[in-house]
Amino acid sequence: MDELLVGIVNLSWKHVAMWVVAGILIYLAIRHDYEPLLLLPIGFGAILTNIPFSSAVGHEGFLTRLLEFGIYSELFPVLIFIAIGAMCDFSPLIRRPIAMLFGAAAQFGIFATIVIAAMLGFNLKQAAAIGIIGAADGPTTIYVATRFAQDLLGPLSVAAYSYMALVPIIQPPVIKLLTTKEERLIRMEYEEQEPVSKTTLVLFPIMITLIAGIIAPISVALIGSLMFGNLIKVSGVVERLSQSAQNELANLVTLLLGITIGSTMSAEKFLVVEVGIVLGLGLVAFIFDTAGGVLFAKAVNLVVKKKINPMIGACGISAFPMSGRVVAKMALAEDPTNFIIMHAIGVNVAGQVCSVVAGGVVLALVK
Amino acid sequence: MTDTVQQALSLMAIALPAMFAVILLFMGATALLHKTFPAKEEKAAQD
Repeated sequence: MDELLVGIVNLSWKHVAMWVVAGILIYLAIRHDYEPLLLLPIGFGAILTNIPFSSAVGHEGFLTRLLEFGIYSELFPVLIFIAIGAMCDFSPLIRRPIAMLFGAAAQFGIFATIVIAAMLGFNLKQAAAIGIIGAADGPTTIYVATRFAQDLLGPLSVAAYSYMALVPIIQPPVIKLLTTKEERLIRMEYEEQEPVSKTTLVLFPIMITLIAGIIAPISVALIGSLMFGNLIKVSGVVERLSQSAQNELANLVTLLLGITIGSTMSAEKFLVVEVGIVLGLGLVAFIFDTAGGVLFAKAVNLVVKKKINPMIGACGISAFPMSGRVVAKMALAEDPTNFIIMHAIGVNVAGQVCSVVAGGVVLALVK
Repeated sequence: MTDTVQQALSLMAIALPAMFAVILLFMGATALLHKTFPAKEEKAAQD
């Protein structure tokens, strides 16, 4: 009889509180469609891990096995990168490489947040892992957290995916605060641009991998897997592999990644002040990213003849294609005939590459 | 100012320019690649 009561006897308010947290994540995923592919499995994984004596976690638990096999080994984030690479179209970036500068500027939040986290008492590795939330890129966040702050893996992942889903709420006020109405009304011309040759498309991922790898070998796993996925796609000779990477691989790894991350959200690790600070700093990182991108675009306007709409600077964060769409909508709200979507999406694609580069730079410099 | 904050500031001072330098290198190499292999010539060769 005691065996049947062991769960009830050992249940504490902390477990129930975590069920509420998990319930909120599941609610946001289902009701508001906030990153449902990740938040739904994360939420349910959190429930599984917060049942007293749950057989899903612990030495024999399948979630603990998945954590060791897929996350601590860095396998799942790398596989996700292959899938993302297979979904990416780098043509806008190749046609207009200058968009990469905006992508770089919008990584400012990462470094600003690292400094703020250090001021709040986190050690450098923890601060770096927290700052990387500003990469607005789930797999990069998980990859860096696995190396630098495994204890914070759960909250860091939740923060990264939640704020990516909240881009339409976070970015517009920051953009409006930093731009004038005249600036938001700036029109950007669409020039006739030469299409990208297949040779260029094939050489691009190889070239980027070689350059990044030679400069920062530690970034090879991140950028190499992203570019491998892209090479599969653009080569045109392994369509089956490309489709598998975009569909089966992406779906399966996302499923396992989410529920495994959820299993790291045990009450004793999650219900601490530190986690609240991490979640707050994640928001700070997104705000500084947006500000960095917009202010950089405004600075560029001081020296160029053809003015650019500074709102596109905000698309340099990696939240693709959400950020590009948000900015394009903002431009249309100011002037229903001002279409900047192509420029915004181009910068948004650049943000994807730049966030991985930023992750690689942090990995290389933080010892 | 603690050691960690100083390290974080040093990281920012090194990482930001380093990241921009890498991105500039990417930009240059990408532009060069796009110019070296124009789509028109490739299409003409295929035809």
